[in-house]
Amino acid sequence: MNHDIDIKKLRLNCFRQSKVPGEFMLQMRVPGGTIDAKYLSYVEHIAKTWGDGSFHIGTRQSFDIPGIPYENIPAVNAYLEQYIQEVDSQLCGVDMDTVSHEPKPWDPTSGYPTIGARNITGCIGNYHCICGNCNTFELARRIEPIIFPSHYHIKINIAGCPNDCNKAHLCDFGIIGVARMTYHPERCIACGACVRACEKGATRVLTLNEASGKVEKDACCCVGCGECVRACPTSAWTRQETKFYRVILGGRTGRQTPRIGKMFLNWATEDVVLGVLKNWQKFSAWVMDYKPEYLHGGHLIDRAGYKKFKEIILDGVELNPECLVAEDMFWHETEYRSNFNVKPLSMHHTAGPKK
Amino acid sequence: MINPVQPQACTILSVTKESRHEWTFRVASDVKPDHGQFMQLSIPMIGEAPISVSAQGDGWLEFTIRSVGKVTNVIFQKQAGDTLFLRGPYGKGWPVEQFRDKHLLVVTGGTGLAPVRSMLNMLAANPDYAKSVHLICGFKNEDGIVFQNELAAWKQKFSVIYTLDDQVKEGWRTGLVTAFIKDIPFESFGDEYAVAVAGPPAMMKFTGLELMKNGVAPEKVWMSFERKMSCAVGKCGHCRIDEVYVCLDGPVFPYTIARDLVD
Amino acid sequence: MGFSLSAAQADAVLHALKNDYRIFAPKRFPSQGRYSDTDIIRYEEIDGFSDIVWETKSDYPAKEVITPIQQTIFYFTEDEYRASKAKEKPILLLARPCDINAQQIQAKIYCENGDYEDLYYKRIRERVKFALMDCNGGDDTCFCVSMEANKTDDYALALKFSPEGLLVQVKDETFTPYFTGMPQADYTPAFVEENSLKVNIPDLDDKAVRLALKMHPMWQEFNRRCISCGACTVACSTCTCFTTRDLIYGDNPEVGERRRVAASCQIAGFDQMAGQREIRSTAGDRMRYKVLHKFHDYKARFGERHMCVGCGRCTHRCPELIAISATVNKVNAAVEEIKAGLAGQ
Repeated sequence: MNHDIDIKKLRLNCFRQSKVPGEFMLQMRVPGGTIDAKYLSYVEHIAKTWGDGSFHIGTRQSFDIPGIPYENIPAVNAYLEQYIQEVDSQLCGVDMDTVSHEPKPWDPTSGYPTIGARNITGCIGNYHCICGNCNTFELARRIEPIIFPSHYHIKINIAGCPNDCNKAHLCDFGIIGVARMTYHPERCIACGACVRACEKGATRVLTLNEASGKVEKDACCCVGCGECVRACPTSAWTRQETKFYRVILGGRTGRQTPRIGKMFLNWATEDVVLGVLKNWQKFSAWVMDYKPEYLHGGHLIDRAGYKKFKEIILDGVELNPECLVAEDMFWHETEYRSNFNVKPLSMHHTAGPKK
Repeated sequence: MINPVQPQACTILSVTKESRHEWTFRVASDVKPDHGQFMQLSIPMIGEAPISVSAQGDGWLEFTIRSVGKVTNVIFQKQAGDTLFLRGPYGKGWPVEQFRDKHLLVVTGGTGLAPVRSMLNMLAANPDYAKSVHLICGFKNEDGIVFQNELAAWKQKFSVIYTLDDQVKEGWRTGLVTAFIKDIPFESFGDEYAVAVAGPPAMMKFTGLELMKNGVAPEKVWMSFERKMSCAVGKCGHCRIDEVYVCLDGPVFPYTIARDLVD
Repeated sequence: MGFSLSAAQADAVLHALKNDYRIFAPKRFPSQGRYSDTDIIRYEEIDGFSDIVWETKSDYPAKEVITPIQQTIFYFTEDEYRASKAKEKPILLLARPCDINAQQIQAKIYCENGDYEDLYYKRIRERVKFALMDCNGGDDTCFCVSMEANKTDDYALALKFSPEGLLVQVKDETFTPYFTGMPQADYTPAFVEENSLKVNIPDLDDKAVRLALKMHPMWQEFNRRCISCGACTVACSTCTCFTTRDLIYGDNPEVGERRRVAASCQIAGFDQMAGQREIRSTAGDRMRYKVLHKFHDYKARFGERHMCVGCGRCTHRCPELIAISATVNKVNAAVEEIKAGLAGQ
């Protein structure tokens, strides 16, 4: 067995080092976590032909195939060509001959060119779910060409509704499908079902005005879940046709400072979300002085500071009129070690171009 | 086309507080309802509600309204000289012609006294109308007693049993009205009797069963129902029970029909 | 007399008709469904031929045109109630046979129950003429044939839609002038003769059976399954129940309007009087009340037919996937069981 293996190079190629020296686990991208079921036969073929026959559903919804000996990797990569072409190039429209939007020809038999950005996860969304407000995987497929291939890391989770089953609150850039509602008073029978649904399942923003027999809404606290629409027996509450999104920023797990993300944008249209993501590379590059490190987005925001992040990420993005932006960010972190931040100045991280 | 659901403005002549929660509004009206009929009162912020005509006289009608919650409280702010809106009368009242020259037993629970009050006043004013009148009136407690003056007056005219469910009061019995049915001398009535019952659903149900236990013939019993209504003219559907509408076919039903109705 | 119209010709006829009629038809409301990216099809005044949704049945019934979810019946001031006015212009209502038959039922309740014809129903109904929409068989919730509501002759026009255009039978000759110069063709409407779904109507003539059915444990299933939202009755082609509600202008309780608002026997509070306990306090009680009204009580009062036209909209709109057809079949099974029990006594 070859004991001289460049594991960092393989990691970039989406092969993860195993505790068994010389074995690796392939991570196949599944943008948005939904894909034609026929690709499961690809997984089976790779696992049985070159791996140990087992298959793991990755925590980031990638198809993970462990137990692949180092010497099988070229064969696996050659076999992957069709999958990458069909899923990334054709389904998502990714330009494989670029990295971080810079031209870089891709050898189709060489497997994934970068591990960044990480696979975009999605709940099943409104493709199936009665709560979902958006099609999560279609959005993921539109985001994929913006963020991949790239050496800059970002973890994006897409949740179809504010129930956030897909943990948009626990990634760098969480996207939650929200709905803005229209009330049709002429169809309202004052049954109070929406009021009870909002009280039980959301933020208690609805009240029934006995004098008017109509429902009143404290719109500023509405989370846009659409439970009122689901509860209404007469379609007096409906979702507006335009899809809106909430963006949750800077959530993470980890050994140092895990934290729940906080709201960055509310009621943003898809164009705004995509526009912001298009600035992601620019922001990452600036923070790391154009030298990519294996470092996720939340840490980059920490280094730059939220206000700097906001300045770069919103650059040139035309916000829709409904869109609200966080003026500041008040994360609350779990500090595993107290006064974690207090250390010699020389140990501090810096952001931006070095002098 | 006539519009039977158009309310008419009526002036309030007086307001009498029967108890803390039950007030009687006397309004000017030339309508002459049958005993036991009801009318629709417009109650601000609620729409309309069916209220029994609890007494009537020359140019006036009385309605006894229970204040329940903040909605009906609006009507409790009205006073003499103010306007109430009325329409009706509606429904089938007591078959008073069938009570003529009979021994009549009237059993009421709580404000169930309201829909029989105008008939009792008529019977008190016409002592020869019925062979005898027996009245069993029950109230939950002393606070719930309504029509105190009439109760005292009827004592002189009718054979009465007044009772409180679970309180002791001088001159009153203690216990549910059903406990006193057996004290009525049905055996002396022969075939010439009738029974009128009005009160909450459970009270009427058990009174009916108790009457049957005492050998009363079901076809001699009538009961006055109270149900939610919006229109009182058979359209809104709220008061329907099986194939009958309380507003059209009631509120007074023969027991032979009433006993089989399942809400 | 019959005509065969292209889509453009149909549109021209509709525009001519619109001078004299308000035309209501099933119309698509994109993304307004209960779930994200689902549509609602409901009745609305239409502008042109392309507005009409004919390929599929509407989510909400045609009754919304005649007995709207909400209508003002009076305006009031401190000393007067004044009846609202109806729009004078006649209505041409495009409807399938189930919806047209449903109006016989609504008319019974509004005009033949008690001594009064309801002003508000009658004044709209009198202005309505039906344009029968050829029903291509509905969907898998329909059982109009079981309810004998698949046919009607109460129509002025009969329409058969296709992607290319429209076949028309003019039954009411006052409509002939609108078709002047249009290509003639024979068209006679055909009616659905069989649904995939069939419902056996239980025999509930026997009072003892009926009383036993009301106490039967079958209704308890709905305590668990039904959420008492009332979507079934709102979607029902025949349900008529309403509540009158006063709407106060501003802070003055003496000035406002009185409205009729659709009510549902399935929603808590339908039978509740102020300060008193609810009579039907469980979903099972309410379901029993509704089902027996549809399949016994209405017919017992008015004769002729049951109160259901088998349009299946209650099933289609139920968020808990309770099918009226399955429920009626369960009633049937319970009735057989009860009858066997009574016979064995």
